Formats: sequence, C-alpha cells, structure tokens
Amino acid sequence: MTISADVLHGARFNVREFARTARGNHRAELDLSSFVNAPLQPDILNLVRYLGRLESATMEHLRNLLVTATHKDARVTAFLVTWAFEKFWIADALDAVLEANNVPRAQDVPEGKPRHTIKESNERRGPIRRAVAAIGLGVPIIAVHTTTGLIDEWIMTTSYERLATASKSPALASTIAIILDVKKRHAAFFADDSRRRLAGSRRAVRQTRAALMHAVWPIGAVDRAAGDRDLFEEFVFAGEAGKARIAAIAKRVSELPGLDERIAAVVAGRLRLAQ
Amino acid sequence: MAFDIGKYTATSVSVAWDDLDFEKFRTHPLPDYSLRTLRYMADVEYHTVCYTRDLLTTPSHKEADMSAFMTMWNREEFWHGEALATVLGIHGITVDFDELKATRLKLGWKDKLDPIKQAIGGKIVGNDFVAVHMAWGAANELSAIQAYNRMADLEEDPVLGELLRRIAKQEARHVAFYTSQARDRLAKSKRAQVIARFALKRFWAPVGSSIMDRVEVQHVMNHLMSGPDGRRAARRIDASISNLPGLEGLRIVENSLIALGIAA
Repeated sequence: MTISADVLHGARFNVREFARTARGNHRAELDLSSFVNAPLQPDILNLVRYLGRLESATMEHLRNLLVTATHKDARVTAFLVTWAFEKFWIADALDAVLEANNVPRAQDVPEGKPRHTIKESNERRGPIRRAVAAIGLGVPIIAVHTTTGLIDEWIMTTSYERLATASKSPALASTIAIILDVKKRHAAFFADDSRRRLAGSRRAVRQTRAALMHAVWPIGAVDRAAGDRDLFEEFVFAGEAGKARIAAIAKRVSELPGLDERIAAVVAGRLRLAQ
Repeated sequence: MAFDIGKYTATSVSVAWDDLDFEKFRTHPLPDYSLRTLRYMADVEYHTVCYTRDLLTTPSHKEADMSAFMTMWNREEFWHGEALATVLGIHGITVDFDELKATRLKLGWKDKLDPIKQAIGGKIVGNDFVAVHMAWGAANELSAIQAYNRMADLEEDPVLGELLRRIAKQEARHVAFYTSQARDRLAKSKRAQVIARFALKRFWAPVGSSIMDRVEVQHVMNHLMSGPDGRRAARRIDASISNLPGLEGLRIVENSLIALGIAA
C-alpha cells in the first residue's frame, strides 16, 4: 500500500479512509517456515524483541498524550485509535518471528531495569506531572506530540531497515517490508499534522523545540531495559554508517517548519545517549 | 469463566453495515427523537478514547492483556460511532471530527482535573483502583447493551434494528472482559470491594453524563429506559452488577433513573 495521493498532493490526510483500511493480523502473510532452516542470530532476535516492545507500548504512550489537550482533538484521537490497532499487529508479527525461532514472545520474557540518567529524568514523568504541566500549554502541545511522532517514525524506519540488512534473512526482510508499509501511513499522518501545526503557530514551534531538548528516542524507550537500549543504539547508530544514519535523521528534523540545524543537532546527540 | 484475550484480539472486527440498506432511510427516515438518541450514542462511542485516558492513568496500562483489550475495544467503539454517524449522515446530520472537538473543548476545567484526580487515586490505592475501573466499565458496557437492545426493540425499523443488535453483540464481549476482570480483582481484595461500592454508589451516572447536557441524558433515558419495560431493563443491569463480589444489592442504574426523573 502506498501513501494516499491526497497526502502527496497537499490535501489533508484522510483519517476516515485510514481507519477504514486499517491492517490487522499479518501472520498469514509471513514467511515463518524459512526460519526452521535459517534461524536468526541471537543478537538479531534480541533486537526484534526490543522493537516489538516499543511497538506494543502504545497504551503507555497514549496515556501521556491523552492527559494533555491532545485528547480534545477528535481527528487526532481517531487517528491514534487506528494507529494503536496497527501497532498491536506489528508487535504481533514480531512475536511470530520470535516464536518461529523458538524463543518466547516479548511479553513472556522478563525485562531488565531501565536506564537511570539525569539526562532523561524529565521523560520519566508520570501522568500526574504531565497533566499538571500540560494545563498551561493548551492546544499547541498537539504539535509536540505529532512532531515527536514523526521523528520517531524516521528513527524506527531507519532501525528496521538496518535490521533487515544486517540479519541477511530474506524471511525477516519480507516481514519488515510489510511492517514498513504499514508504518508509511503513520508517518504520513504525523508529517501532515505536524507541518501544518508548526507552520501555523509560533507557540507550537516553541513548545516543540523545548520538548526536543529532552526527548528520549525512540518514543517509549525511557521505560525499556537499559541493556536493550544499549544494544539498539550500538546496532543502529554506532560507527561511520551509524553516524550517517544519525545525520540523515537530523537533516530531516532541521527541515521541519520552525526547526533548524541547532535543534536537529540536539536530537542527533540524543540518539546515542549511552555513549 | 476466564476471558480469552488471544481469541478476542484475533476476532475483533469493525462492525459491518455494507450489507444493510441504509439508503432506504432517504425515503423512510427515522423519527427525530430516534435521531436525537442515535446522535447521543454516536458521541459517546467516539468519546471512548477519553475514558481510556482515565483508565490509563491507573497502574493497569502495564498489563499486556489489558493493553491488548483496550486497543481492540477502542477501535470497535470508534466503529460503532462511524456506523451511527453514517445513519445520521443519510438524514442530513453530519458528525465530523471538528464538531466532536467542540464538545470536548466545552468540557473545560473539570475535565482537565479529572485525569489528575484519577491518577492520584490510582497511586493511592494501586491495583485496587484497577478493580474499581473494571467494575465501572462493566456497568457502562452492560448499560450500553441494554440501550442498544432496547432501541432495537422500540424502533420498528428492521435495518436499524439489525445494526443496533450487531453493535450490542460486540458490547457483550466488552462486558465479558470487564466483568471477568472485575470479578477476579474484587474477589482478591476486600479494600477494592469497599472502594468500588463507594465509587459506583456515589459517582456512577449513565454513560455520557459527563460529556452531554443533562437534557440530552434525560431525552435518551426517557426514550429507552422509561415505563415498566425500561425499568425492568435497568433492574437487569443492576442485578448483573450486584453479582460482582462486594457489590451485592447495588441499584445504581435504577437510582440514577429516579434522580433524572424518568417515569417508571
């Protein structure tokens, strides 16, 4: 499925059409039997599990969004309902890969302790502090949520692509191709919505820049295990190739309305916080 | 009986109406008072995500089964909204996202404080608060089934009746989830029973009361829950709630009808 022509031609992303054509269970499309003769390496499986955990943490993320003015925008919440549904099934596809490789599903493996660094303390806020903080922010905070959603899509897409290549597994690559196809529309919504809001409101830009100063990537990583995050950051963003990936993401950040190279450099610096 | 979350997620679908002849409403429109009730129902379904927010501020979001259920539940309820909005649309009543937004903006300060209050409550009583939410959700979903079935009975139109029964059928699975969760969690904690009993008795009101004007709530309750049949339906809901541990004898639905001045 491709991004709808409407989006490419500047019309608003069609939330109703997205909801109507949501994609659920992928198991029938997955090439799981290939893993019997060509199982994935343990480090690849660990990353599959970590990505699955990130994809399935939608309810935790929704909580943080819905205690702010974002819940008042029925168009955004309608999108998020379907977005959560599609991510549920992305996580399920990743679970299917794990099971086909004879390892347990993500939720059946105890997760390690999260990282505790001062650089991330702001993102560990619970719903009470978020709700209180959001009272003065009002509607522009929706721009924060859709812009960080967009940047998160870029980071996740980069990670999936790296995983597909590094695994040397056509079966995993084909699963990832399905996942990336589903995620295209998530990125399209976030791009449409965030560009519109950033271009239309200085307060939205100000709040978004402030949020990017302390954002932790990918979204939801702050609650994930420190060990998994170290592995992920090393795998995706280390070395020369990793630096190039970071630079590509930073360039896209700098091109968003109201953002620039200075704030993009902050985002870039936070993609490998452990180093 | 335990609720099979895997089976539920695997079989969760958006409610279908492609095979129903909604076009007939163009020549045989529904009466205004029915459309007013349908409008209320559509709004409530679309606002489900707001209830999710309150639920998510409690410790329950960390549980995988709960998370899976809420993902599907939200989507099914959204589609109930879409189905009802389609019927309304054929009658020239447009329910678009911007209009829904206006309703939410109108909620004002009370709404802003709600998640905070809920979250603080969630912190104080921890997992017991999840039990309270589950009992609350069960009461809401039980009322939804009765409301849809009552309307299907009252409305002589077979097409609308079929749509409402399809929606009610999905609501029945939500009831199964909420009641099985509530039963297990209440049974484990005397304190949860006491809080749930207090919260339901003191604060429960018909679904939609927090987002709709009182006159709209009264219209819907008069339409669907008045008279001897309506009162019987209310008692059926109360009886189901009373079956949960520690909630014996609660009459929250019947009492709320009395408070709204709905004739028996």
